[in-house]
Amino acid sequence: MLGPRLDGERGVALVTPTLDHVKRNWEWMTHGETTRFWGVRAMDLRPEYAEERFKKLAEARDNVNWSIVLDGEQVGMTGLFDINWITRDAESGIFIGRHDLYGRGIGSEAIRLRTAFAWQELRLRRVHNWIAVRNRGSRRANEKAGYRQMGRYPRSWFRSGQWHDEWLGEIFAPGQQPPGWV
Amino acid sequence: MLGGILRGRRTILRVPTEADLDGMARWAADMRVRAALTHAYWDEPAARATWKERLAKQSEAKDSVLWAIEADGALAGSCRVDYSMDPGAFGDGGIGITHFTIDPERWRQGLGWDAALTLHRWIFDIVHARSAATTLAAHNAAALRISERLGYQTYAHGHAVYYGDGRYVDELQQRMELATWDERWGVAEREYPVPLGEELEK
Repeated sequence: MLGPRLDGERGVALVTPTLDHVKRNWEWMTHGETTRFWGVRAMDLRPEYAEERFKKLAEARDNVNWSIVLDGEQVGMTGLFDINWITRDAESGIFIGRHDLYGRGIGSEAIRLRTAFAWQELRLRRVHNWIAVRNRGSRRANEKAGYRQMGRYPRSWFRSGQWHDEWLGEIFAPGQQPPGWV
Repeated sequence: MLGGILRGRRTILRVPTEADLDGMARWAADMRVRAALTHAYWDEPAARATWKERLAKQSEAKDSVLWAIEADGALAGSCRVDYSMDPGAFGDGGIGITHFTIDPERWRQGLGWDAALTLHRWIFDIVHARSAATTLAAHNAAALRISERLGYQTYAHGHAVYYGDGRYVDELQQRMELATWDERWGVAEREYPVPLGEELEK
């Protein structure tokens, strides 16, 4: 599914993605500045594949996708994936392609908007994710929204001379927190 | 798949586009390039439509990556690697270099070395592959100098394997280990030179 427009603060909004947004995200994913905690910078970049992927994203009933914009300009993407409509659980993800805008709170605001939508519009109960421990910006943005560490996956992958652990996080809708969850 | 941006000192490995196909087609039809004799799929001359089809298929391929090599703002070569698609094998198995061409008009400028070093930074520092492998014709002195400097070792010597320019030529099968990369290049050739320390984890 493609998500509806959600206006946030400081010029940040989540908007319905377009095919051009998908292509621009992929172009950003070919850069080293955005992929330290991402894939190996090799992708299928055919325009027809982008169209096919975009169509599948739009048709899928188990995810919601948004583009992140700042003052009307696309800067990244975010979404809720693998939604289980029985347990009302989903995985979340975010990618900021404009590395020159890192540290400005765009991710935090996007996660706040996404999380509010998960509770208030989708009536989800729980959202979980995984983030490289050293991806401090992303981890802090998620913690600021209320995600809490549920575990740590050691030595998940190796890059540029060091092993990277994964931080596993979860967040519950208001009133849905299990006993003992802090 | 098509490879993203990898910056060397003099070259940039980047996503190949249709605009690069004329250059690639020109090299494929150049006897100086073909004299390397280790012809691969990407080295064979073809019609324009076939080149476009090759690029589309390459983008789709899950078991290989192609880059264009750029220097001084212009296309200067191309390179391609492949790897096993066995479950969980990406990077754990070896990565093979199946194509590596520098524009013959720009030979002897050090671009091949710079692009090869950058490509191996991707193989070992980004993917963390256990090994890299390639096959070279025994008379390809320029390629052998690069592979030796990188740290490749010959593990097989095929006799009279290739034929060109009126004679048979031997084949050298070479392999380079991750440990060799770490020892020779691991300190200086980091994709991300500044490691993220424990203090940043708090």
